[in-house]
Amino acid sequence: MAFDFGAVSAASASPAARRERPSRCVRLVPDPPPDTLRIPATIESLDEVAAFVLELGAEAGLPETALYRLRLAADELATNIVMHGYQDRTGEISVAGGIEEDRVWVRFEDDAEAFDPRQGMRPPALDVPLEEREIGGLGVYLAFTAVDSFDYELVSGRNVSTLVMNLPATG
Amino acid sequence: MSFDVRLRVNDRVATIELKGELDASTAALFHQTVDKASKAGSIELVIKAEELTYMASAGLRSLVFARQKMGDEVRIAIVGASEPVARTIRMAGFDHSIDLIDA
Repeated sequence: MAFDFGAVSAASASPAARRERPSRCVRLVPDPPPDTLRIPATIESLDEVAAFVLELGAEAGLPETALYRLRLAADELATNIVMHGYQDRTGEISVAGGIEEDRVWVRFEDDAEAFDPRQGMRPPALDVPLEEREIGGLGVYLAFTAVDSFDYELVSGRNVSTLVMNLPATG
Repeated sequence: MSFDVRLRVNDRVATIELKGELDASTAALFHQTVDKASKAGSIELVIKAEELTYMASAGLRSLVFARQKMGDEVRIAIVGASEPVARTIRMAGFDHSIDLIDA
């Protein structure tokens, strides 16, 4: 897979720029850029998300543990969109990724009902015996704690979640 | 995605061997195996995880199921989990009720 990050990286350089992204995207990149994966919102598609993120992270030179965590976060977020976003409805998820000087990012967009995944996040109830635990919300908690940043925006009615993993400083 | 699960029962110890990647698409297989193990009347459940290369929260769900189905007196141990798999188990606080061995 070839990655071409120029246009998307520039658009995501700052929060303000990121908000402008949809219109800039239309002007700069008329066709889906090659670094965007579009998949049906099904559990069977999770493999493709994993492969996409692992390839991106490896290309960025993420250390093994950070790569595992980015994949875990992406996997949990995609699972959440399928199970709780679209539920039984059919839909599409688009996954974009980019490598910048000091970080790797993965962005998920979907047209399910507006929902900030962080709202559904529930830290584990450590004082409750395991057999009595409700573990809904644990996946998003794992995703949130695995990456360096986890942002959510509602952009033109679409859910947009961005995961960022910082790259180790190079001497 | 490659995932394989095996169950052996002897001397009242049920051993489940996990291999590959445990996520939302493969967890059903683990779940069914836990269910089978819980019916074997074992006093201990050993989950061998040396070759488990990845585990998402769907795997944690099956561990809760295991804790519920096996009953209080049954010890559950996970043996040889890799660092990131063990981290996920600890992050969820499951290491209070499930023993992590050689992790």
